[in-house]
Amino acid sequence: MIVTMPMLYCPFRKSCDAMGTHPLLIWLLVLIVNLAALAGVCSGTDDPYLAELQSRAAERQLHRERTWEVLLHYRPRGDGRESLVDDPRFFLAPGGKTDPAAELSATLRSLFSTDASGDEHPRCRFPARTAWLAEELAIDAGHLPPMACPQLDEALAAVNPRSAVLVFPAAHPNGPASMFGHTLLRVGSTYRSDLLSYAVNYASHTTDTNGIVYAFKGIFGGYSGYYSILPYYEKVKEYNDLEHRDVWEYPLTLAPDEVRRMVLHIWELRGIASDYYFFDENCSFNLLFLLEAARPRLRLAEEFWNRSSFWVMPADTVAVIGRAGLIEKQTYRPAQATRILHRASLLSPDARHEALQTALSPQRAQAVAASGRPPEERRQILNLAAEYVQYRYSRKELEQPEFQRQFLEVLKVRSPLGPDESDAGEVPVPPAPETGHLPGRVGLGGGYRHDTPFVEASIRPAYHALLDADEGYSPHSQIIFAEAVGRYYPERHSIRLQRFTAVDIVSLAPRDEFFKPISWKVNGGLFRRPFADGSDRLFLRLNTGGGMAWSVPGNGVVYGMAELDLNLSDRLRDKAVLGAGVSAGVIVSPVDCWKVALSGSALAYGLQYHEYYRLALEQNLALSRTLGLGLTASWERSFDRSRAEAMLMVNRYF
Amino acid sequence: MKRALLAVAITVVTAASAFAASGKVNTGCGLGTVLWKGRADSSVFSQALQATTNQTFGNQTFGITSGTLECGTPGKVVQNERLNHFVRANMDNLARDIAQGRGESLDAFAELLQVPAEKRPGFYAALQSNFASVFTSENVVVAEVIDNAVALTN
Repeated sequence: MIVTMPMLYCPFRKSCDAMGTHPLLIWLLVLIVNLAALAGVCSGTDDPYLAELQSRAAERQLHRERTWEVLLHYRPRGDGRESLVDDPRFFLAPGGKTDPAAELSATLRSLFSTDASGDEHPRCRFPARTAWLAEELAIDAGHLPPMACPQLDEALAAVNPRSAVLVFPAAHPNGPASMFGHTLLRVGSTYRSDLLSYAVNYASHTTDTNGIVYAFKGIFGGYSGYYSILPYYEKVKEYNDLEHRDVWEYPLTLAPDEVRRMVLHIWELRGIASDYYFFDENCSFNLLFLLEAARPRLRLAEEFWNRSSFWVMPADTVAVIGRAGLIEKQTYRPAQATRILHRASLLSPDARHEALQTALSPQRAQAVAASGRPPEERRQILNLAAEYVQYRYSRKELEQPEFQRQFLEVLKVRSPLGPDESDAGEVPVPPAPETGHLPGRVGLGGGYRHDTPFVEASIRPAYHALLDADEGYSPHSQIIFAEAVGRYYPERHSIRLQRFTAVDIVSLAPRDEFFKPISWKVNGGLFRRPFADGSDRLFLRLNTGGGMAWSVPGNGVVYGMAELDLNLSDRLRDKAVLGAGVSAGVIVSPVDCWKVALSGSALAYGLQYHEYYRLALEQNLALSRTLGLGLTASWERSFDRSRAEAMLMVNRYF
Repeated sequence: MKRALLAVAITVVTAASAFAASGKVNTGCGLGTVLWKGRADSSVFSQALQATTNQTFGNQTFGITSGTLECGTPGKVVQNERLNHFVRANMDNLARDIAQGRGESLDAFAELLQVPAEKRPGFYAALQSNFASVFTSENVVVAEVIDNAVALTN
């Protein structure tokens, strides 16, 4: 027997307050009524139908059903359950976060609440739970108080959920850290245009404007995460046109009723906060719950929940969803910068130059249109110029009034030339992110340092090195986390840590007529090199550099950087040295599976003056998605001690 | 050593704030107005970090509908909030697609205007050859673009 306390309290308080009755009297009355209800004397105040539903639910142990656990985000915790949702407004029972049975009972009771708050009524607020309970218990709607949910109805009418697509914006070309990327869902309707569908996004909200502050808080759980629904074109503009990231879309094999159930669950999560952690409880992880809500027998989040790794990468979630059989194909939505590169590559050098000049001074557009060039070339020059004007505006190189004038000037000249005759705007689809090598890598190999043989073993949990095959990744970029390398020197029977790379990020972004990015790198960790006493010693290093890169034939890149290097060690006279120098190199990939890099660096250190030089020739042959063969020859000179080294490594990706 | 690190940290943060100060808020209903909407800080530096940490600014929650009242009401079409909002948010790409005679924004625009598939090639050609009468000036606003385009459907 469950007493409907809230229903009793509210009318009482209102009427009694009006009469000015002593509060103690109210409590006594409440007590009497409740006792009566408990004793079953006054069961007429409680709905017998509700009592029957509650007892049937308890009998069937409905609170242990998979769907209930999915909808409330319950996870096993010891012998019991605990919801991953932190916001108390998500639960109807006071202990709902850890008590699925009490929560289910409270939810059933709430369905009968005569509170006519409409949109805030539990039936409007939690439509997926309501729908599931109604179906499982075959609840007769005639017994429920009538209820209208205008906001929910309006949202459902607008979104009109029919299909779902997983959306994966690829890495920012010059920001390899965005390799971690983001995933969101797109809910399609009966509209044919994908732009008119709705995006479902999970992100932390912030009003902080300082980049450092929000990066820091984002990583360490300083923000709350929320789900949002917004027109998909807003997200397309954000990724394609503003951040210049390509977007991959994976249509999911969910039926319309499953998608509808998912949208009802998203509605339940409206305004519900969860602590946002960039590395694990992030966008990608949280979207898995939505897919489970669509089809409760899926077990997607568990795969991450049970494993020990401390982060969830969006590319991983794509793989998990793929393994669940939800993905059958993918589509590609190039960023504006990608389209500009492609359009430029189709034009002759002279026409390309003309397009650039036209974008920079649009009064030239008339001359282009009136020139003796072939009509299609004139169209393509102006198409490229128009896109480049947009690009400059997105990069804040133009103020809005300038942009409006210049953009319109180019378009007004372009429009009378008629439709394109070629498909210059269609960018060929590059290899999809999930076709690349897996992000983890273990290596085993051996070689000679000076004249001493060694065996080397390495492990790297994530993500992509410059010499790994670029297929599916941002080309000429590197992001390595927590790579450990150990060596065994048999002659000396010594095992030693060769290096530990906490983080090593490199972005080599080729410059051309249209784009002038800065290449940069930053890395830190424990490294080993010859010290003044002649021994190879471990030291702590922080290194950063910036410079420029250009494309070379063979899918290659040549680069030069100026760099700063801080070394810390007890073996150094002043515990620290600060160095400055240059590095340069060339990387080519004549065939997809083979990469060769030649690099050199020269640094001079202050505090304890010495010089450091390094030359290296490296190559990597990708034998498959999971296997690679590396060969490295290098020479370094430090504190006037020279060491040459050669090594062969077999790398397995996992 | 600690001081050196502190100095580096201060330099980075100051540089970031200097970048941040250059952010500019655009309001309006014309070309180039909504690209930066809802982005508190549009410096390239902050964008790179934002791209890294997946954060959204302000109150971007359940944007099922969002007001475009200040952009005027198109006269000749039935009240269509979705169309207004689409054009407002996609005016730049729509202008480009119309000038080129094709494109995804143009397809979506035609669909929202309920132009039947068989009439679209003609509609696109009419828009392209009358570009200057749809986008009459750099100060053109949403309602005018819609009205001017609708005039060509007849």
